[in-house]
Amino acid sequence: MPVSPAIEAQLVLAAVLLLALASAWEAPVLITGRARHGPTLGLLGGAILILGVAIAGRWWREGQGPFLTFYDVLLSNVFSLAAVFLVISWRSPAVRIASLLVCPFLVVMGIWLLNMPATAVPLPATFDNYWLWLHVLSGKVFLGMSLVSACSSCILLCGGSPMCDNVIDAISDALSLDRMIWALFFLAFVFHSLMLVAGSVWAHSAWGRYWSWDTLETWTLITWIAMGGVLHARATFKNMLPWMGYAMIVVVFAIAFVTFFGVPFLSMGPHKGVM
Amino acid sequence: MGVVKKLASLRLTLAGMILLGALALIGTRSSAVDVGVTTLPIAVLVLNLLAAIATNRSFRTQTGLLVFHVGLLFVFVLVGLSVLTRFDGHVEVVQGGSFDGRDVEVTEQGWLYDGNLADVQFVQGDIQVDYLPGLIRQSTRSTIEFVSANGVPQRVTIGDSRGAEFAGYRVLATFNKGLALILRWDGNDGDVRYGAVHFPSYPQYDWKQVTQWLTPAGQQVEMKIDFAEPIVRSNEQWVLQQPQVAFTVRTSGTDMPEVVAYLGESIEVTGGSLRIDDLRMWMAYRVDYFPYLPWMFVAAMLAIGGLLAHFGSRYLPKRTIDKANISGVANACVASN
Repeated sequence: MPVSPAIEAQLVLAAVLLLALASAWEAPVLITGRARHGPTLGLLGGAILILGVAIAGRWWREGQGPFLTFYDVLLSNVFSLAAVFLVISWRSPAVRIASLLVCPFLVVMGIWLLNMPATAVPLPATFDNYWLWLHVLSGKVFLGMSLVSACSSCILLCGGSPMCDNVIDAISDALSLDRMIWALFFLAFVFHSLMLVAGSVWAHSAWGRYWSWDTLETWTLITWIAMGGVLHARATFKNMLPWMGYAMIVVVFAIAFVTFFGVPFLSMGPHKGVM
Repeated sequence: MGVVKKLASLRLTLAGMILLGALALIGTRSSAVDVGVTTLPIAVLVLNLLAAIATNRSFRTQTGLLVFHVGLLFVFVLVGLSVLTRFDGHVEVVQGGSFDGRDVEVTEQGWLYDGNLADVQFVQGDIQVDYLPGLIRQSTRSTIEFVSANGVPQRVTIGDSRGAEFAGYRVLATFNKGLALILRWDGNDGDVRYGAVHFPSYPQYDWKQVTQWLTPAGQQVEMKIDFAEPIVRSNEQWVLQQPQVAFTVRTSGTDMPEVVAYLGESIEVTGGSLRIDDLRMWMAYRVDYFPYLPWMFVAAMLAIGGLLAHFGSRYLPKRTIDKANISGVANACVASN
């Protein structure tokens, strides 16, 4: 059933409020060192449900998926990042501590979303291709896994700081967390590779070329090279201190974030139809 | 072997990756440096990868890792082959006209390109493009007719994300399309010819449907189309197709006054006359030839499959046979017997 723009805005606001509540619930960990992530994950689940209704309603109303405008990209990413984190947390309790950073991050993105114009732009006919789906989905899974890996890395990086003693106390299993960080980073690399391949097939179909070194493509390749570089560095320098690896993961996520949400500001060419 | 081992160094891999990323960024941002400079680090990485596959023992014990790197190597090699054998061009074909490879304007052509554009043969049929209010382009439908390899006449509609394939060439309808006057030339020497004069892209330049060309007698003429009523309806949903509205053609040229003619009328020009036979549409196509592209996709998917296999072997819990439990069950079986 279509959702009116006014209701959609209220749904997004409600979801952002739930994310803010989840962040507030997590905050005392910084002082007490005791973590109870159950309510956080419940609030996160609620926010995902509400965002899902907003996306589905918008989709129905506009007759197209959330692919084109920056609002669409932000809306679908707040949803997918939260969903990926929830799924990983459900499967691996060790990463639940990352909600300390993931939730505030999602709140910031949600506030950004609330301040973007929600007007839809018709999807160019050339974009309507199954490869677009695979490209977008693999991109979202990649970013979600990178986010969890980077936030978990930040938590472990805090281990060196006396200010974060309480956070370290709250980590249930540091070894499992370290293993999950690298597993997620590796899997993010797989999904990034899939995103690149699917994007090339789609671009070949939509624009007649599989690679053209436009700004977005170049930065995506740089992100991929950076990820490969981190994995190689870990294999090359066996004596590398753990914090160096975590720091590199955070830097790679920063590059990926700029590629997803910064570069489209500079180069909107590939995202607009041509008369 | 010492040189090969040095070439296989993981430190060299890292240096190559950093160089590739840096040059990709510089090459795409700077007008002074061509992005082709990335060939250098790619060549280094290919050599490094070849040497690593030959000497690095970890590839022998980790199949997934080996498959990923072999796939990546093939991707690099196939990208190189694609660059050398590629062809990319564009052409405009008028409704009712035939595709002619000689009209294709080459955009890019590799050194080792060996295709034959004469293998591409089709006749242009109807063209329709949907528009939303505000001149937002939606779906493009371009019908083409051709005889298939087994001699069966075919008619297919292509456009947007669906192209046509002929002998390895892909013909893809672009956003570019326009109007064309079909003219009959009656030369004073008895020469009779038919041809199409293409006007600027439509509706992008609906305000400038004027073009200049040389008649078979060598006179430069300028032709302008005026419609009795507007074709473009920018405030509503509409379909661009062969115009059915009345129009006039204003023709002027060197040593002749401006003449206004209707459909079916003739215009006297130097050395003969031009009869306006029809007003149709033309469609611009992109014609490309990338014989190694499907293999590049296969290699890339192979690489991703290798990565997944490596992930599985490294991070997923292994199913081990609980020997103690098995022996316990076996003992229980023996006891019960």
